[in-house]
Amino acid sequence: MTDIALTMRDDLGNPRFNRGNRLVGLLSRNGLLVAILAVLLYGSLASPVFFTTGNMVNVLTSMAIVGIVVVGMTFVLVVGGLADLSVPATIACGAILSLALQPMIGPVPAFILAIALAGACGLVNGLLVGYIGINPIIATLGVGTIVLGIVQAAVGGVIVYGTDPASAALVKSRVLGIPTIALIFLVIAIIGNFVLSRSFWGRWTTATGGNYNAAQASAVPVRAVKAGAFVITALCSGLSGALLGLTLQSARPLVGTGYEFSAITAVVVGGISIMGGFGSVPRAIAGLIFVQLLTNIMVLQGVRTPVQGFVLGLLIAGAVALDVALRKRGAV
Amino acid sequence: MAILSGIARYRVGLILGLTLLVASLWVPGFFGMTTLGLGLDRGASIGIIAIGLTVLLIAGQIDLSGGAVFALSGIVSIVLQPSLGIWPAAVVGVAAGAAAGVLNGILAVVFKVNSLVATLATMLIFRSIAHWVTASQPVAGIDIMFSLALAKVYFDVFTVRSALFLAAILLLHFWLTRTVPGRNLFAVGSNASAAEASGISTDRMMFLGFVFASTLAGVAGVLQSLATNTGSPVFGSELTVTVIAAVVVGGTRLEGGRGSALGTLGGVLTIAALTTAMEFQSVPAYVQQVVAGLILILLVVLDRTVRTGTRTHAAAVASA
Amino acid sequence: MTTRKSVLLAGAVALLASAGWAEAKTVCYVTAADSHAYATPANKALEARAKELGIDVLSLSQNFDVQTGTEQLKTCIARKADGIILWPLDPQAYIPGLAGAQAANIPAILINSPMSDQAKPFIKSFTGPDVYAEGKMAADSLNAALKGEGSVVIIAGQAGNGTTIGRVGGFVDHLKELGSKIEVLDTVNADFDQQKALVASRDLITRFGDKISGVYANDDTMARGFIDAWKEANPGKPTPPIVGINGQKDAFASIKSGEMYSTIVQSPDEDGKLAINTMAEILDGKEVKDRIPIPLTVVTKDNVDTTQPAF
Repeated sequence: MTDIALTMRDDLGNPRFNRGNRLVGLLSRNGLLVAILAVLLYGSLASPVFFTTGNMVNVLTSMAIVGIVVVGMTFVLVVGGLADLSVPATIACGAILSLALQPMIGPVPAFILAIALAGACGLVNGLLVGYIGINPIIATLGVGTIVLGIVQAAVGGVIVYGTDPASAALVKSRVLGIPTIALIFLVIAIIGNFVLSRSFWGRWTTATGGNYNAAQASAVPVRAVKAGAFVITALCSGLSGALLGLTLQSARPLVGTGYEFSAITAVVVGGISIMGGFGSVPRAIAGLIFVQLLTNIMVLQGVRTPVQGFVLGLLIAGAVALDVALRKRGAV
Repeated sequence: MAILSGIARYRVGLILGLTLLVASLWVPGFFGMTTLGLGLDRGASIGIIAIGLTVLLIAGQIDLSGGAVFALSGIVSIVLQPSLGIWPAAVVGVAAGAAAGVLNGILAVVFKVNSLVATLATMLIFRSIAHWVTASQPVAGIDIMFSLALAKVYFDVFTVRSALFLAAILLLHFWLTRTVPGRNLFAVGSNASAAEASGISTDRMMFLGFVFASTLAGVAGVLQSLATNTGSPVFGSELTVTVIAAVVVGGTRLEGGRGSALGTLGGVLTIAALTTAMEFQSVPAYVQQVVAGLILILLVVLDRTVRTGTRTHAAAVASA
Repeated sequence: MTTRKSVLLAGAVALLASAGWAEAKTVCYVTAADSHAYATPANKALEARAKELGIDVLSLSQNFDVQTGTEQLKTCIARKADGIILWPLDPQAYIPGLAGAQAANIPAILINSPMSDQAKPFIKSFTGPDVYAEGKMAADSLNAALKGEGSVVIIAGQAGNGTTIGRVGGFVDHLKELGSKIEVLDTVNADFDQQKALVASRDLITRFGDKISGVYANDDTMARGFIDAWKEANPGKPTPPIVGINGQKDAFASIKSGEMYSTIVQSPDEDGKLAINTMAEILDGKEVKDRIPIPLTVVTKDNVDTTQPAF
């Protein structure tokens, strides 16, 4: 990790490379757009039901839950925080609390409290990573294990059921044919994009991920920014989990398993380097769209589950290898 | 401060000692040769993979695909038994592990894909292949008696597996501390470009590191499959996290350049002792998780705050 | 003098303790998980019944990891337990461990899931539902609902998991035995997870549309996922006959409202109690049958009001 990290940072500090990088960035972003179009085209030819409103709405709905996590995870990768592996725990926290607390304090306070507590877990991650300087993989793995353990102990292993059908109906409803949950995702994505690409916080995030020492020297509160990325991710996962709980009207401790890897996959396929320093929410979402469409086509074509995993693995490796190669060429 | 840094320095030993002390007071019948043998055998699977991961982490790389390689190698060694016989099939199984490592190495070293992402991808790929070749069904070996022989306990303490693990850890200790390539490994991990400048072939070293890590995951997988007479695509799914925890508890850092074989031994034994002790008392698995997580966090926080008190924080973070 | 006294006292206490220890039999219970909708009530029932019987239970949770379980068997042997109750997650992998238990003269029985025939010499009994039989019952039920023809989708549990293998295998094999004309359109793995089943079902519905004339889900949770997906795609249209397993409360509600055709009640309480009762008999030196099933009840609209849900 170290060597690549160092060379990357040196390169990014070089203005000439920045120009090249932008060009290549444009190119690889278009590359992803081309790939998405190709998948759309192939899908329409291969399956008569692929390009129907019904299926597209399905893809959108399936995308929304993991998509909200992707928005948060983008911050973690851009800030140079590698990855947040505590996502399954914070999703479980959101899903279980938002349902379990309903009878006691009502659906809306339960929803808010669930997200807030997930955010608190993120704060612990953030303090460990940003302020104490623990490797994010270890910190989030440890905190995730602890939180999941506590959540399991709290509910004693049983399934928690929802008690408020009205909130479920709200989450499952549609506005002008678009599922509400997809609209929530859209709003989160727009906010995320604004914060990352248009606000001072976003500039700080990118600067911290690009060159930690330089950012610190230019008075960026690097520790807070790094910690913030983990809080943002935890809040997003908490929201995602709460929405998941409300949609399903049931939650169990392992409800969030696998979401961390799905989110990382989307961000990485979107061409955002795990080394940090650049990246945007739309790129990550483009990666997510590509992965989701591809999975959808494979399912519609009846590709077996193991083969799907195989293709996904190849895709991640290929996308990143291509990205590294392109960027190297751009630098010359 | 001196006491604190002393604590930090020998934290693995301390935690291990503490675990054993608490366990002996709290758990009736904990101390005894059988428990020792049990703990060792239990630690062996984790330990053998941990040896490979220690080397890789010192070189500044990581491998998430260990659990999947563990399953795949085991399956290969079982599936080929009818046609090749037990021993040749086992060798092919280990070779499959090595081949997996070559793929990891190519991705991470040749194509320069960050090892976290590269091995995340290969983890999916290897796991998929495991499901694919077995049609998601566990496969049985040909000779149950062989498994029983393998599980035999020698001198009241050692099984084949645990003896192998202990021998390997001693070899690793010797290699890391007494040989030139071993010391070069630390140079590669702490500053690759400086290492390259001083004539060490960093790429080659890292590549071999990946092959070594996967080969050992393969060895552990084959041993597990032989011991249970089963190859299953779901084996090892919880393993990677435990192994990373064991190595890190042992004081090896994910940032590279720091780590030791004896530390890893301590980490593995701590986790094994902890699990065994808590199981002896029927502690629920989720409580075990919380305890393990807390110890992990506590140790890395101690590592960061005490030992690096004099180093600048920025340097530590920049290498993350 | 005082030292002597305290030594004596300590000795007496130790003697008492060891005597007490020897009196109560300890049964080692290697369970699938201790935080799970089905396993948790089964564990609780087992432990409660053990208390009534005066048996100490050493409960070890595999957390759904076979390797953990094989190692826990060794812990049981090292602790010199008087008996072992194992919840197998793999048909083969525990055999060496069970053989070790037999060598140490510790009787072992299986709870909930079967193992392969090779394990037979090493176990005294297998108590619990037969997942393969459940698959067959589900096939009967769906075959009846569809009057022997149609095309169905199977929403299966985790790939490679023993319960999944049994429930899918029993279903597919029995359809053949029945000579049914029901065709299986596709089998997808949704890992016993409602959200995964929801996503998978959306795709199945898009792909096959009206061709789906019946659904078999490996558990009620995943059946729920299909129902939600169907309602999204076809608001107002009645669901095709859906057969689930487990007999959860919400499945009962779905059967009453006509969203589901049937489920199979498998009570975790019965499952847990039967295992410890059987073990108690073995510890008393009685002979037990090698297969002791728990009752499985197919629940349809006809008997939904008179049956108790499992959990």
